Amino acid sequence: MENAATLSLLENIVSSTHGVDLSKLTVLGIESTSHTFGVGIVRVSSGVFEILVNEFSRYVPEKGGIHPRDASNYHVEEAPKVLHRALSKAGVKLSEVSAIAIALGPGLGPCLRVGATIARFLASYYSKPLIPVNHAMAHIEIGKLLNNLKDPLVIYVSGGNTLIAIQRKKRYRIVGETLDISLGNLLDTFAREVGLAPPYVVNGVHQVDACANWGEDFIDLPYTVKGNDLSFSGLLTAALKKARKAKSRKELGSICLSLRETAFNMLVEVSERALVLAEKNEVLLTGGVAANQFLNDKLKSMALIHGAKFYTVPADYAGDNGAMIAWNGLLHYAHGVVVKPEEAFVRQRWRLDEVDAPWLPED
Amino acid sequence: MASGGLAELSQGAEAKIYKTIFLGIPAVVKLRISKPYRHPDYDRVFKHRRTLTEAKVMTYLRSLGVRAPSVLYIDPDAGLIVMEYVDGCRLSECLSEMPEERVAEIALDIGRQASIMHVNSVYHGDLTLANALLSFKNEVYIIDFGLSGYSRDVEEYAIDVHLLDRSVELLYPELRNAFMDGFWKGYSINASTSFVEKLKDKVRDVRLRGRYIEERLRRRVSKDRYV
Repeated sequence: MENAATLSLLENIVSSTHGVDLSKLTVLGIESTSHTFGVGIVRVSSGVFEILVNEFSRYVPEKGGIHPRDASNYHVEEAPKVLHRALSKAGVKLSEVSAIAIALGPGLGPCLRVGATIARFLASYYSKPLIPVNHAMAHIEIGKLLNNLKDPLVIYVSGGNTLIAIQRKKRYRIVGETLDISLGNLLDTFAREVGLAPPYVVNGVHQVDACANWGEDFIDLPYTVKGNDLSFSGLLTAALKKARKAKSRKELGSICLSLRETAFNMLVEVSERALVLAEKNEVLLTGGVAANQFLNDKLKSMALIHGAKFYTVPADYAGDNGAMIAWNGLLHYAHGVVVKPEEAFVRQRWRLDEVDAPWLPED
Repeated sequence: MASGGLAELSQGAEAKIYKTIFLGIPAVVKLRISKPYRHPDYDRVFKHRRTLTEAKVMTYLRSLGVRAPSVLYIDPDAGLIVMEYVDGCRLSECLSEMPEERVAEIALDIGRQASIMHVNSVYHGDLTLANALLSFKNEVYIIDFGLSGYSRDVEEYAIDVHLLDRSVELLYPELRNAFMDGFWKGYSINASTSFVEKLKDKVRDVRLRGRYIEERLRRRVSKDRYV
């Protein structure tokens, strides 16, 4: 995976090394913020960057949504297997790893603690530096890496997050976000409450999308945009209220269709405003909901109007994964960001805009 | 309709803006455009609704003494508003060269106008520096009422203040205190002390509603402890 962006990123890193040997660097990243336990290993070797392995195991609830305790129990079971699989596939021994990166937040407490415990143990047992990584930032950086982007408008949508960010003065600044629930949460909760899910996604199609095919009418639902921020909770309540009164499959279909249209239009509208205000010419969609084809199409056509290019992230790297944690860990490590294992606390609430990103440009 | 031809001024996110002469008056034409990403039924309702609200609110606020451009003509089905042209610059672009006292004066005027809106049950919905103009006659205008509406809920007013605060923070972090102090000073001219206090509390609530704010967690914990 040697490309222009990688090399220029690496040049940036090399120009500001903090006593870190950059000629050969292998970073192992651990992700466990929510339903996914993932281990990724990335390597830089004489200017060439590679993702050696990206292994993960995803908790799927039998009923209801993600139960934090069940998910963390699942991670405890799966962690050693995923770790072994990653190491053997990559042909790397733990002793050869240069540093361990861990997603310390934001996320579900019990799940975060599983990954953090393993990472702290590995770092102390093998005397490796430990690198704290913000999950949201990792999502953005892997998207930039894979698409060769320098300065995109970022739209990050998942089960836990809905935000629009731009880079400015060595940090990511949030220009718009949800004030209550996330977009993924909206779709999942609706599907669950009306009895369409779990499973939430079948053959890559979300249940709400499948259901939308049954309907054709557009129903007026609350559209809540506040400046550049969004609110989905009123929309959810109104859609559920209507769905409970629906008498036919077609009627329910129309509600699904209108729910999706309303929610996506809200997101596209604020994205469009942010794009115009920030004057970017690249748009990056990432996070678990990035796989949604309808959202992709809408954002793509929006970007086109303003002469911006639209990029998304391959599913394995768009959803939660370990490789993104490893890559972002590598960036941090090259700039001297490490944490002592005894101080590596998980942070359930850890905003993207609180974290320094020293590799970003000055302005 | 337009006798001076149309010159495109800018393409915003929602509308195209043209400059023209309308009935002998220098005017701006704001034309909301259809979006390919919107369901066609929805697109129609959307354009109609926003155009109508914007024109209504602007006219109403002008009669109350808020400096909004005067509306000259509307066609909601076409998504079109013709309004008075204000020659000046957006505050998002021209605040940086100014001394702090001047910034405070401008903020005071925005605060004064915002309180007239709120006291009369109108919220702006997108009150940011990009939606405030400083005319070359040194008057502060508030524009772009597409997201505005009528409400007696303090929440909506608090969101206006929050959005303004955040846009100052984003664009001119170093001016934030001077700006917001001026804003509240101006706001208190028309609003009662009790109203201002209530609003300030609500603004704090709204700010804490953002995702993963630590302060929110701490606040809940200390409340649980003492209640």
